[in-house]
Amino acid sequence: MTVAQRNRGITACILVFLALFSCSADTPSKERGRRYVDPEGTLSLIRDKKAVIVDTMSDLECMDHRIPGSLCLPLEEFENMARELLKDKKRPVIFYCESDECLRAGVSYDKAKAAGYGEIYILRGGLPAWKRAGYDVESVERVKREPVVSVKRGALEKMAKKKQGIFILDIRSEDDYSKGHLAGAVNIPLYKLRKRLKEIPGNRTVLVVDENGKRSFLASCYLINHGFSDVVRLYGGMEYEEPQKWKGGKG
Amino acid sequence: MVHTGRTKTLLFCVLFLVCSGHVFASNTRINCVDCHDSPRFKTAYKGSVHGNIGCTGCHKSFESLDRHVMLKERPALLSCGTCHSEIEKVYRNSFHYLYEDFRCYDCHYEIHSLKKERGNFKIAVTNNCTRCHANDEYVLSGHGAAVMKGNKDSATCSDCHGLHDTRAYHTSGEKYILEAREFYNKTCKSCHSNREMMVRNNISPDNVRYYEETYHGKVQDLGYSTSVAGCADCHTAHNILPQSDPGSTINPKNLVRNCGKCHPGIHPRFAQYKAHPDYRDIRRYPLLYISFISMVALLLVTFTFYWTHTVLWWRKVYWEKHRLEELGIKLESPLTHEEGIQEVRRFAVKDRVMHLFLVLSFFGLVITGFPIKYHDTLWAKVLIQVMGGAHNAGLYHRAAAVVLIVLFFIALWRCFRFIFPKGLGSKGRSGWKERLFGPDSLAPNMNDWRQFKGMVKWFFNKGEYPKFDRWTYWEKFDFLAVFWGMVVIGGSGVTLWAPEKASYIYPGWVFNIASILHSEEALLAALFIFTVHFFNTHLIPTKFPMDPIIFTGSYQLEELRRLRALEYERLVREGRLDELKIKHPGISLKLVSAFFGHASLWIGLLFTLILLWTFFFG
Repeated sequence: MTVAQRNRGITACILVFLALFSCSADTPSKERGRRYVDPEGTLSLIRDKKAVIVDTMSDLECMDHRIPGSLCLPLEEFENMARELLKDKKRPVIFYCESDECLRAGVSYDKAKAAGYGEIYILRGGLPAWKRAGYDVESVERVKREPVVSVKRGALEKMAKKKQGIFILDIRSEDDYSKGHLAGAVNIPLYKLRKRLKEIPGNRTVLVVDENGKRSFLASCYLINHGFSDVVRLYGGMEYEEPQKWKGGKG
Repeated sequence: MVHTGRTKTLLFCVLFLVCSGHVFASNTRINCVDCHDSPRFKTAYKGSVHGNIGCTGCHKSFESLDRHVMLKERPALLSCGTCHSEIEKVYRNSFHYLYEDFRCYDCHYEIHSLKKERGNFKIAVTNNCTRCHANDEYVLSGHGAAVMKGNKDSATCSDCHGLHDTRAYHTSGEKYILEAREFYNKTCKSCHSNREMMVRNNISPDNVRYYEETYHGKVQDLGYSTSVAGCADCHTAHNILPQSDPGSTINPKNLVRNCGKCHPGIHPRFAQYKAHPDYRDIRRYPLLYISFISMVALLLVTFTFYWTHTVLWWRKVYWEKHRLEELGIKLESPLTHEEGIQEVRRFAVKDRVMHLFLVLSFFGLVITGFPIKYHDTLWAKVLIQVMGGAHNAGLYHRAAAVVLIVLFFIALWRCFRFIFPKGLGSKGRSGWKERLFGPDSLAPNMNDWRQFKGMVKWFFNKGEYPKFDRWTYWEKFDFLAVFWGMVVIGGSGVTLWAPEKASYIYPGWVFNIASILHSEEALLAALFIFTVHFFNTHLIPTKFPMDPIIFTGSYQLEELRRLRALEYERLVREGRLDELKIKHPGISLKLVSAFFGHASLWIGLLFTLILLWTFFFG
């Protein structure tokens, strides 16, 4: 075996080792190219660079509770409203939403990048992280919380028999709805709920369906506050599956 | 409604101001309730729990009454946490605040007429939570029914989920699965291991302890609760009913389906597995009890015999060494005889390779298996973490087990070839008895008994060191014990590896027995190898600290003559000694042997110390 051959062998071994190692490590591919900032960083960006903070949830949620001074720019309406709301493309923009993963903020980020905004960020951990850090939120137009019962899928049929003519209101985005929905569900995305409230019949039981059970509560409260007396929501949303087996491994 | 009410109040105030002139100018003092005069502010508030702190206790004062009346200045609201700081601290991390943005008044609905809960607190909590979480299952469950009947021990919502610190665990999206399960398992256990509470409610107080003695419980305790069944996986989270209830998941009729959630494709008798048995209870679990006691007896007998044997042996050798040193006698150096330093082969290459794999698989099994057995120790948790979790450890354990099983079958095949080298034909069969009980065989014979007696006499200075042939009786025991061990530990291990398939052969309670056998046999094997085998082959003062012969394959003729006199004489008689003479092993083989041998030896001894420490003090 020549020295060159041996070296090649060693290099191959190292490469295989590295490849194995990189498989086991976390791959930040989803984060690649996106800049994140934590709550403290957000504050200093606002103070030092007059950054704009943008709530990417629906206006209903944004007006209900948001980081003080946020702009309400729902992800779905980015194309329509960004030009109006975010005029200065050089001013830093921080997107956030109301989940730990911040998927909506991520999509907004990509849209803003494509639209040519120079300095953009995502608030890492979203609004929950902001709250966890001990900072307050402001309510501009708070939706009064009401008791809303959630119904599991298994109990839906039973309920349908008892209550004739349930109006299934799917508040997910048009895209999600088109990918699959409950039979007979009517799609009014949450960001359009205020404007299209009249389309919901007041004399029927309304079943509010969302992605994962986190947004239907506020929507239901909003309906109840606007005179709907019989509102229930789908437990865990469309993504929920009865846990059968939890897979091994940590978290 | 609210809107019209507010307009009326506003009109009233404006009229009031117009009639009375400027409020401050006239120096008239007015009260909040003069304007905010609805019954809830005027009367209900005074009788409420906050009635003594006044409006400005929660609503800050304002600069200008004029502006306030014109709805231009609203007094800021003080946070409830200003007084209830402890609650605020935990509430800020609760699910309700972080993800649903609930405020105090969203649960304490009418804050102005809020009164202290009278009567049963647990019932009040249930009533309040179920306004939104109308979970029929809980209300129907054993816990819910008992709470509603007034049982103050039974769990209400807040006992498991927290009251103001409702955990932000949303398991539906498969997020926080580990944290949620750890939290809930801990919560179940906190009451169900409370002896007094369980006894007064007629529930077995030891169920938690018994569960923790099972595989499920051990892995969970190690911190990998997502890999195994926790409390709620079998009993569900809310629909917890006694076994006798037909709606209960642990009712015999539902049990097969219940187990099948994690163990698909099982035979119905799988459900005869006991999830928290007491193996010390001879009346309820006689077979488990017998299995446990038999294994303990086996351990005691084996170690009493072999540790005594070891101590006596060590004493003899050490005292003998001391005697010779005292007398100034030095053993003859083999260097004086040219022939004495000649290397003689003892183990063929395939023997050594098999032993090498045996060492690797054995250590693999011990390191991956024992942390489960001693799950509640720090070292177990560290070891499992180093291996990347219980799931990975389980994979390594199975991989090592496959190696061991393959070795076992190779050994069986080699035994067969040893006895029938020419096959099972009439020619091949002839002379099998001579081979089986001959000097090269590992099968025990009467010579072993005689040699054992001779050895005991030598221990007590009553005779010479016995003459051994190729295999001593302890070496034969080492070899043959593996056959017993493989049947017990291998059989139980394979059963526990694939319990679903095993249920087509035998019922679920066999898994309980298999767990005990696997665990105790593992202790027997590990301690035997790390103490008895290590002493007999390495730590005895004549070979201390290590005999590399199993790695290098050869030793000096001098040693053969001294330790295996019968074999030496036989080889000379048969003229076969020259066949076995080989070159001295090379330096690289020696180095590798020494390194591997020492590493195994010291790891094994360290492990023994840890095991014994855990056993006696852990």
